Amino acid sequence: MSIGGSDLDKAIAQLRACRPIPENQVRELCYKARELLIEEGNVVGVDAPVTICGDIHGQFHDLMELFRVGGDVPDTNYLFMGDFVDRGFYSLESFLLLLCLKVRYPDRITLIRGNHESRQITTVYGFYDECLRKYGSANVWRYCCEVFDYLALGALVTGAATSLSPTDGPLADTTNADSIPDPDADIEIETLNANGEIMYRYARNSDSQSSSAASQPNSTPASSSPIAPTPSRVGAAGTGATSSANGSSRNDTGAILCVHGGLSPLIDTIDKIRLLDRKQEVPHEGAMCDLLWSDPDEIDGWGLSPRGAGFLFGADIVKCFNHKNDLSLIARAHQLVMEGFKEMFDSTIVTVWSAPNYCYRCGNVAAILELGEDGSNAGFVRRSNGDAGGGGGGWVLGSNVGNGGGGGLNRRLSSVLGEQQRAREGPGRRYRVFEAAPQDSRGMPAKKPVADYFL
Amino acid sequence: MAAQEIPNLRTLLGNRRGGPSRGRERGRGFPGASHEGNGALKDNAVRNTDQDAASSRVSCVELGYLNDSYAKLFATQPVTRRLPLLNRGTYVRTSAIDLLVDQFLTTSPESPKQIISLGAGTDTRYFRLRDKYPNSQLIYHEIDFPTNTAAKLSSLQRHPQLYTKLTSNSPPNPLSVAPSATTYHSATYNLHACDLRTLTTSDAASAAPLPNVDPSIPTLLLSEMCLVYLQPSTVSAILLTFLQKYIPPPTPVALVLYEPILPQDAFGRTMISNLSTRNISLPTLNAYPTLSTQRQRMKSEGFMDGFKAADTDFIWRQWVSEDEKERVAGLEMLDELEELELLLKHYCIVWGWRDGGLEGDGLFTKAWQNVGEQEGGEPGDGLKAG
Repeated sequence: MSIGGSDLDKAIAQLRACRPIPENQVRELCYKARELLIEEGNVVGVDAPVTICGDIHGQFHDLMELFRVGGDVPDTNYLFMGDFVDRGFYSLESFLLLLCLKVRYPDRITLIRGNHESRQITTVYGFYDECLRKYGSANVWRYCCEVFDYLALGALVTGAATSLSPTDGPLADTTNADSIPDPDADIEIETLNANGEIMYRYARNSDSQSSSAASQPNSTPASSSPIAPTPSRVGAAGTGATSSANGSSRNDTGAILCVHGGLSPLIDTIDKIRLLDRKQEVPHEGAMCDLLWSDPDEIDGWGLSPRGAGFLFGADIVKCFNHKNDLSLIARAHQLVMEGFKEMFDSTIVTVWSAPNYCYRCGNVAAILELGEDGSNAGFVRRSNGDAGGGGGGWVLGSNVGNGGGGGLNRRLSSVLGEQQRAREGPGRRYRVFEAAPQDSRGMPAKKPVADYFL
Repeated sequence: MAAQEIPNLRTLLGNRRGGPSRGRERGRGFPGASHEGNGALKDNAVRNTDQDAASSRVSCVELGYLNDSYAKLFATQPVTRRLPLLNRGTYVRTSAIDLLVDQFLTTSPESPKQIISLGAGTDTRYFRLRDKYPNSQLIYHEIDFPTNTAAKLSSLQRHPQLYTKLTSNSPPNPLSVAPSATTYHSATYNLHACDLRTLTTSDAASAAPLPNVDPSIPTLLLSEMCLVYLQPSTVSAILLTFLQKYIPPPTPVALVLYEPILPQDAFGRTMISNLSTRNISLPTLNAYPTLSTQRQRMKSEGFMDGFKAADTDFIWRQWVSEDEKERVAGLEMLDELEELELLLKHYCIVWGWRDGGLEGDGLFTKAWQNVGEQEGGEPGDGLKAG
């Protein structure tokens, strides 16, 4: 059979119910997906508005929760930064659903490769075994791996607004109203919980950064109870996402580079990523490997990665790369962060993590990052950006306190770069934070996951 | 997830609680915690989980984490490869306890010593120690639920590598023991089939006999994920029995615990919730939630000459040499670094001792003087790295 049109919609419906599709349909789907992906460059161009997502890792029910919180496809544009498979129970259904959506709505969803989209890693971390178990042969795993080889290595988001138009959602219970800036203010960051309630909002140029940040000590909804039943929801799924991400005032933000892991010492310009031959298994070393494996860290320059692949890179590396490539932000995934997202190095790089209660064990919340569309108000004069470069260590959101000590480095860097080379103003960033979905509430087959402990 | 954890979709419905309960790495030395009439099921589960523990150990051995030729002799189920993160955790925990035991045995090596392993399950430590210290005067005791001691004895009778180890030291030959037996006693190795909760009597004179336990020689009590399943008051009573009756003062005695900590953060809450769905509760976890409460506990239980603690993340960083770290890191690609750190920070080793009046010069003080403990561990700073 061929998978297109109504067949594709049928496959999507079946996968949404967390039921695998037959092997011949998988083959057809993968063939179609490859035809599509082969046309994409190594760095896919993506226009805002777009919602950026981190690791999924086969947590299918949580992916459904992500769509509920962030809006459904094709109403919301999505960019997934890899690691669709491994670890969770439903890698197959998760990846095939995303792939179906990609084939069905190619301009609405972008998939880039993570380090787990690899033959070698999937044989250790579960996807291979899952395919074998669900189909009785490794054919489906092979089809999927062939698709992995064609996934882009990164994406470049342009046209993102520098300011958010504030949502009109209510304040979350835990939010201190005094810390919420005036609605007319130029909103740079907003954090919403899964109900669309405002947990935190920060205006650009605000001096209240540290105080309002401090007023949100670890107040993510899940921090009180990661396993509590999901509270009742307000409003229909996905209705607000795209429209609320709209509307902005200025368009002077630089582009946003999205990549699964991070930077590579072999890559100093985005054009160099474009020159790589990506259609292969993820190599053990080299630029392509680094993009999928590296991590930012509180170091100067480059360091060896304890993962055994990729590198660690410091604030100086990120700031130089962003400046050279006219970027305002790097968005990446790859590392579990308990609060779902973590901005580092004066908000020049952010980690987005979208697998809540990772491996059914970690108790973390997940986040997605919405970037609004730049409005047409081109005549708006850009305001100077205060003193962000020397602001003393960048963002501390929730308990994201991992960037202590960055301030000194940033100050040094600012003086090196000088006023002319000040980093681009970042885009307005709306984080939606969500918890793990209740496992058996959607009529989908769900096994109560059994996480391993040392007992 | 490893292969055996991936659900077969066809079997899911109507099997909500199904599947083998896995991951319990020790027998517990007592029947399942409930008295709800499903004792046989629980016994079976214990036996299964103990087998699971054996195959976890084999996974570590086969990949080169641990050197333990005995592990596979106790594994009767097919060995499945564990995730690198779990192999690493098993490695850290085993080597940490090995280190404390080694320091104990090599301090005054000529004098007799005793180890009592609570809920020992399929542990291979006795046989490894026999090889490593063939001349030590060590009396080794394992106390466990009869189901587990019977299974262990059966393994001993099945494998020449095991029973020859025993006969070469002292009689009786394990082969001469009835196949249905649950206990084994010799001058060097003893299997006690005993529910630990029967050792809580306040009347020391009426405590159950533990044959061959020598009340006069320095003794190390080991509890790897064993006492944590009991009520804190029960644990205190058991320890009191050991410290007053079996190993009375002034005999030096120490306790090494391996247990989870930090039940109140997101990972800890999830752990408690996940385990409760498997009918496992960890009563002492809430009673001693941090390193500092664990230290305080040791002191108040009577191990007042030393009471120290470190989480296994600290132990990996500080106790394992750089060369060894490099060797272990090279065994498997480990992509679970953040998760590994989380997991390792939620388990700790606690070691405390009573030296019997020899202040500053006691055996355990000497043995463990160079073993680094972790500072802090007050509520709230448990997640700081060492």
